[in-house]
Amino acid sequence: MFLNELFRTATFRLTLAVVAAMIGSAAFQFFLGYSQATVFEARRSDTLLYREAALLQTESQEDLERKVRDRATDDLRVIMNVTTLFDHDHLYIVGDLHDWPEGLVADGHVHEISLQNTDHSPGSPGVLRMLAVSVRGGRFLVLGRSWHMRSELRLMMRHSLLVSIVPTVLFALMTGIVLSHRALARVKDMHEAIDRIMEGDLHERLPAGRQRDDLQRLAGSVNRMLDRLERLMDEIRDVGNDIAHDLRTPLTRVRARLDRARSAGHSAEALRNVIARAIDDLDQSFAVITALLRIGEIENGRRRVGFGTVDLDGLATDIIDLYEPIAESKGIVLRHTPGHGVMQVLGDRDLLIEVLANLVDNAMKFTPEGGHVTIRTYEDADGVSLQVEDTGIGIPPQERKAVTGRFYRSDKSRHVPGSGLGLSLVLAIVQLHNAVLRIGAARRDPDLPGAVFTICFVAASHALPPPDEAA
Amino acid sequence: MTGPDTSDRVENAASPVIPTGPSVLLVEDDVKIAQEVAEELESRNFRVRHETSGSAGLEVGLAHDFDVMIVDRMLPELDGLSLIETLRERQVRAPVLVLSALSAVDDRVSGLKAGGDDYLTKPFAMEELAARLEALLRRPTNSRETMLRAGPLTMDLIERTVTRNGERIDLLPREFRLLEYLMRRPDQVLTRNMLLEDVWNYRFIPQTNLVDVHIGKLRRKVDENGGPSLIQSIRGAGFMLRVSK
Repeated sequence: MFLNELFRTATFRLTLAVVAAMIGSAAFQFFLGYSQATVFEARRSDTLLYREAALLQTESQEDLERKVRDRATDDLRVIMNVTTLFDHDHLYIVGDLHDWPEGLVADGHVHEISLQNTDHSPGSPGVLRMLAVSVRGGRFLVLGRSWHMRSELRLMMRHSLLVSIVPTVLFALMTGIVLSHRALARVKDMHEAIDRIMEGDLHERLPAGRQRDDLQRLAGSVNRMLDRLERLMDEIRDVGNDIAHDLRTPLTRVRARLDRARSAGHSAEALRNVIARAIDDLDQSFAVITALLRIGEIENGRRRVGFGTVDLDGLATDIIDLYEPIAESKGIVLRHTPGHGVMQVLGDRDLLIEVLANLVDNAMKFTPEGGHVTIRTYEDADGVSLQVEDTGIGIPPQERKAVTGRFYRSDKSRHVPGSGLGLSLVLAIVQLHNAVLRIGAARRDPDLPGAVFTICFVAASHALPPPDEAA
Repeated sequence: MTGPDTSDRVENAASPVIPTGPSVLLVEDDVKIAQEVAEELESRNFRVRHETSGSAGLEVGLAHDFDVMIVDRMLPELDGLSLIETLRERQVRAPVLVLSALSAVDDRVSGLKAGGDDYLTKPFAMEELAARLEALLRRPTNSRETMLRAGPLTMDLIERTVTRNGERIDLLPREFRLLEYLMRRPDQVLTRNMLLEDVWNYRFIPQTNLVDVHIGKLRRKVDENGGPSLIQSIRGAGFMLRVSK
């Protein structure tokens, strides 16, 4: 079971492949060495045979006979294993070989001959390199050298191959087993960690291990992904809690109101009043849900199809037209300061007017009577900007990032009604337009510093190059 | 064709009175919502025919003439937009109000493009639905007219002037636009959303009671001192330019 698992690890398979390659390459090397040595040895042997044959060919008939006889009995040099003289009918005259070797042709070239009956001489060479040349008197001289060198070479090579390869392979296999066992253990740890994460323990992380290798890198990536997921999950949980809270408040009111209306004897008019207020509260709940759905929709970026050229000053004029009466009734001066030239951006008019309406709405909520709300457009190196400035209570620097979070409501604004989603919606729309939202203070007044919301667009004419170049 | 009387609500929705008003085809798969809508409309003297699937709606819509149709976007078998497109291809001209759970402007545009005449997002107030149905039934007849008259008011669309009993009233351009919209639809309930959408061309619902402030300003200019206001507030619904006595 364990071995089976071991075999299936990538490390062990890699080891096996390396071992196979090692055996193959060693065998190839030894084969190459062996065949080179064989060729070399054959050439050396043949040179000797030719030289000896040439030497003996020059002897007279008697001298040759004598030399051959001497060789057969007391030659100590043992250069030739076979030296025999045959007559023209291949019949034995003198020497250490009694029969004409089968297959030998008297053409003066070396042949490889194997002798069956090897009883004639000591050392009994099985295979010989032989050569037959004609000498004086129509006779044939047969010379031969044992070819046992080749089998000895082969034997030697086989031995050294085994001696070198077997320990190497064993060592490699052992290393492979150890390594893959370790990898298996780490993967097993990771599996266990993943199982715990899947059971809901999102704080768990994969063990990275001490080695800086691919497994560690993978574990690192997965852990970073888990960090992000955990953060997102927390956000979603927070948002979920906020939604539940923001929905529960009006629903609680509805319930209490209906409950009370049921118990006491009310007039038809009073009941109608209760119903109207219940519907108002329900509408507030629906407004929260609708705003959330819209933000989700916008954040999914489905709406970019509706983009066209939008004139920001035209937008401001329309918004002033819509909000001026309410500004008047609140004693606030609502103004529009257009920039120089045409302030056009690429965007969705309906969404941008919603952004501006939200910002103006917000500014008027937090600006006391006698204050100013100014819509400004201008163009600078960054691109075209749309700005809404007020002289209200302002936003403390530490809260500026948080105000765009869902349902965020500053302590200063708890008493002001609203879904708490207006700025989240603004931010979602701004991001859909690849624009930047900046929040700052309008002036140095400790009581009413005012707030400035600036939306900076990459200008329509700069829209073609990627944003980093344009900036 | 006489519009349903929306100013005097029938008190009892379960009234046995058989409706005799305009016929409406309601294609909606949620039976409970459909039942509420149907009862409400019947109490407002509409004759309601309800179908739960797109294909059934198509069949009935082709077989009978309706004064107005209410079609949900998400329907089994045949979706709402395809249903409207098919009806329009077959020369069914009755105005259609599209209902949807989707709020995006894109969805609204596609709803209108398919041949719908108005678009309402769920959840909606019954008053909103009724007002919009009435608006569809009483579409402004002659938009080429140059003089509009409503009660003591006369509007000259060429001179861009308004008079009350011959006396000139000075209006800002936005007040003129709002009054023109009201005068084209006398005795008709107009909701805040309808005014925002049609007069200001806004597709979102602002957090502040903008429309009320605008109406208030206009009212102060057009009303005679002491008398009842020409522009009446309809509780839970919106406003109405009251002409008939």
